[in-house]
Amino acid sequence: MSVSRRGFLQGSRSGTASHAREWLAARGHEEFVAELQQGRQGGRGMARPQLPPGVEPIRISSNENPLGPGKAAIDAILGKFPEANRYPFNSTPLDADLEILIAKLYSAKRENVVLGVGSQELLKNAARVFLSPTKHLVIPSPTYGDPAGFAQYMMKVTVKSAPVADKTLKTDLSALLPLVKGAGLVYLCNPNNPTATINSAQEIKDFIAEVKKTSPTTAILLDEAYCDYTTDPSFATAIPMALATPNVVVTRTFSKAYGMAGVRIGYALGDAATIKKMSAWRMPYNVNTFGVAAAVASLKDPAHIKEESARNKAVREFTIKALADMGYHSTESQTNFIFTDIGKTMTAAQFRDACAAKGVMVGRDFPPMEKQWARISLGTMEEMQKATEVFRSVLKTATTTTSGKGQ
Amino acid sequence: MALSRRHFVQTVGIGAGAALTSSVWGRGRENSVWSAFEPELQAVERGVICIASNENPVGPGQKVLGSLRTLLEGGTRPGRYSGQMGELSEAIAGHFKVKTENVLLGEGSTEILRAATQVFTSKTKALVGTIPTYEECAGYAELIGNPVRGVKLNSEFKIDLDAMLAAAKGAGLVFYCNPNNPTATYVGAKATRDFLTKLIAASPETTILIDEAYFDYVTDPDHETHVPFALEHPQVIVARTFSKAYGMAGLRQGYALGHPDTLKKLRGWTASSGTGSLNVFGMAAATVAIGQDASFTTNERKRNAAVRDFSMKWFADRGMKPTDCQANFMFVNIGTPAKAFREACRAKGVMVARDFPPFHQTHARITLGTMEEMQKAVQVFGDVLGKKSTAAA
Repeated sequence: MSVSRRGFLQGSRSGTASHAREWLAARGHEEFVAELQQGRQGGRGMARPQLPPGVEPIRISSNENPLGPGKAAIDAILGKFPEANRYPFNSTPLDADLEILIAKLYSAKRENVVLGVGSQELLKNAARVFLSPTKHLVIPSPTYGDPAGFAQYMMKVTVKSAPVADKTLKTDLSALLPLVKGAGLVYLCNPNNPTATINSAQEIKDFIAEVKKTSPTTAILLDEAYCDYTTDPSFATAIPMALATPNVVVTRTFSKAYGMAGVRIGYALGDAATIKKMSAWRMPYNVNTFGVAAAVASLKDPAHIKEESARNKAVREFTIKALADMGYHSTESQTNFIFTDIGKTMTAAQFRDACAAKGVMVGRDFPPMEKQWARISLGTMEEMQKATEVFRSVLKTATTTTSGKGQ
Repeated sequence: MALSRRHFVQTVGIGAGAALTSSVWGRGRENSVWSAFEPELQAVERGVICIASNENPVGPGQKVLGSLRTLLEGGTRPGRYSGQMGELSEAIAGHFKVKTENVLLGEGSTEILRAATQVFTSKTKALVGTIPTYEECAGYAELIGNPVRGVKLNSEFKIDLDAMLAAAKGAGLVFYCNPNNPTATYVGAKATRDFLTKLIAASPETTILIDEAYFDYVTDPDHETHVPFALEHPQVIVARTFSKAYGMAGLRQGYALGHPDTLKKLRGWTASSGTGSLNVFGMAAATVAIGQDASFTTNERKRNAAVRDFSMKWFADRGMKPTDCQANFMFVNIGTPAKAFREACRAKGVMVARDFPPFHQTHARITLGTMEEMQKAVQVFGDVLGKKSTAAA
C-alpha cells in the first residue's frame, strides 16, 4: 500500500502554486479514506483508479476548497510558532476564545458551543450521547457515512434509513418521520453529501416539530458542513433553532469553505444542556493551537468566505451546464460538489476509472446510487474547464464504443 | 466567567455517581480541574511565568519550526495530509526500529489513553492506577461507567509495585505512568520489567498501558523504554507524546507502540484511523522532530536536569523536600496547602499547577521552566513561603 501511495504522491509533487494552501486544505483526504474503507470492506472493485504516470492530477474527489484558507489564516498560523509548546488552554488565543467568538457570531453564549477535532469528533460524540443499542439512528440514504459507520461498528447501534426523494434526490423528510419513534438520533446533512441538495428552512423547522411530537426524546443533529456554499434563499442555518430547542444540535467545520480540512477544527451549537452533554465527551485539549489561531483569524475575515462562495457558484454553474449540454443531468447543487446522473452511459466506477486514466480524480462510489450517479467536487474554474473536457471525451467514447452500460 | 468553567461543572456531574474515586483521582484534564481552582485563569499573559502544565519551555526547536515555515510559505510540497499519516508512522517506526504495524497515532497521547480505556475496561473489568496519577484514563473510565481501582503510592511517592500487582489481578487495564505525573518519580527499568512479567503471569487477561510521556527526561541510570517488551507481549502498550520533551503540546501528537494485534483493537477509537485524521501541522512537525538525531532529546534532558538540580536544591536548602524528580516538573512538600501557594504565586506573576489530591494540603507540583524563569520563580516562592531568597547559612 505504501508503495502505491508513494507513487501517487510523487505524481502530484511537481506543482508549485499555493502549496501551503493546498496542504492545509488537504485535498484528497476523503478519497484516501475511501480507499481505506474499501480495503476494510474487502474491496468491491473500488480500488484507487490508476493515473497515467507523470500526470499532475486534477483532484475533484473530496469536496475540499481547492484554494485553501485565506491569507489571514496562514498569517495567524505563522504567528503561533513561539507557542507551539503551549497547550491550547495556555496559548493565545485560547481554545476558549474561539468558542466565545463563535458564540458571539450567533448571538449565543459560550455554554452553547463546543469545539471538536473537525466535525468528526462532534459527530462521534453526538453518537455517544444520544445512541445506544436500544436507541437507533435515523439517516437518509445516501448521506455522509461517518455517523452511521461509528454507530453501527463501534456502538452496535441499529441504523434505519429512508431513501432520498426519487427525482430530486432531496432528503425525504416525510419518509424519515415513520422511522423516528424511539430513535436516539436523527442525522441530517444539510446540504446533503453526496446528493448536494438542501432542505429548506421551513422543511427543517416542520420536521423538527414533527419529530418532537412523535418522539420527544429523539435528538436531531444537523450537519451544516457545506452551508457556506448555499445560494438558494430558502436555505437557512438551523442554529437559532438549535439554540432554542433541547436536543437539537448543529455541527459546522472549517474543513470546507474555510479551506482548512488539514487543520481539524469543527464546532457544535445547541442549547446549554445539550452542549453540556456533548462536552462531557470532548477530548481534553482536543484542538491544536495553530488551528485555533487560524480559525479565529478566518472568522474575523468573512469577506473571504463570501468570495469563496461566489467563486464556487460560478464554477458550479459552469460545470452543471457543461454536463447538461452533454445530456447529463445533475441535482440542484448547493454545495462545492455536484451529483450527476451518468447512468445511461456508465457506472460511477467506470466513470472514475476512465477519468483517472486522463488525470482527473472524481468521487468514490456512493451506494446505493453508484450504478447511476457520480459525485464530482468543484475545483477551480481552470481545473473544471479541463475536467469537463475529460468528461466529454470519456462519456462520448463510452457512448460510441459501447451501447449502454458496462465494458 | 462562570460560563467558561462549564467543563468542570459537567465533570463534577459525571463523577457524582463515582464520588469516591473521583474525589481522589480528580476528573482528568489539566485545564478543567485547573479551572475549578483558578476561575480567573486566562491565557498566559506576557511576562507571566507559566510553570503549571509540564510543557517544555523551549519549544520544538528551529529545525522543526523551520520546516513548518517552509511548508507554510510554499517552498516544498509536503504531500497530502492523508499521506502524512503514513510518513509520520514510518518516521516513528524508524526511530524505534519497529514496523509501522507497531505504531498507532493519536491526537496527543490523550486519545491513546482513552482508546485503551475504552477497549480494555468494562463493567466487570476495572481500570487500575495509582493515586495520584495522570487522570485521563480514570476520568474516561468513569465517563463510560466502568469501575476504577486506585492504589496508593509508597512512602517515596513511587508506584507501590506489590500493591499494584495485587490490585491488578483480573483488572481490564493497568495505567502505569512512569515517570509518574504529578509525583515526578520513576520506577527503574528492572523493577518494572519484573512487575510486568509477574502481572502477565498472574493475570494474563489484563492489559498494561505504560505511559512514557516523560521518559526523555529520566536521568536515573536504571532506565530503559519498555517498547521492546511491549512488542513481545500483546498485554503491554507504551504511550508516547510529542507534548513534553519535543515541545509540541499545542500540536496534539501522540502515539502508541505495541503488538499489532493489540493496537488493532484500538484503531477504531482513534482519529488516525477510518475516516479521521490528525492535523497537518502536528504530523509534519512530529515527522521532522522524531527524525532528528538523539542530540535533540539528550540536550533537552541536560537542559532540564540543570534547571531541576537548581530548583530542587533551592527547596531542599530551605527544608522543603521534593520527591526524586525524573521529569520536567517537581512535586514538593511545601508544608502548606497548594491552593494558597498557587494563588499567592499567581498574584506575583508565576503560575504553578492545580491541586493533586490527596496531597493538596502539603504538596505543590511545579513545572521546570527555563533556568532564567526558575531563578525568577524561586524569588517569588521565597516571598510567598516566607523563606529567605538566599540559601540558609
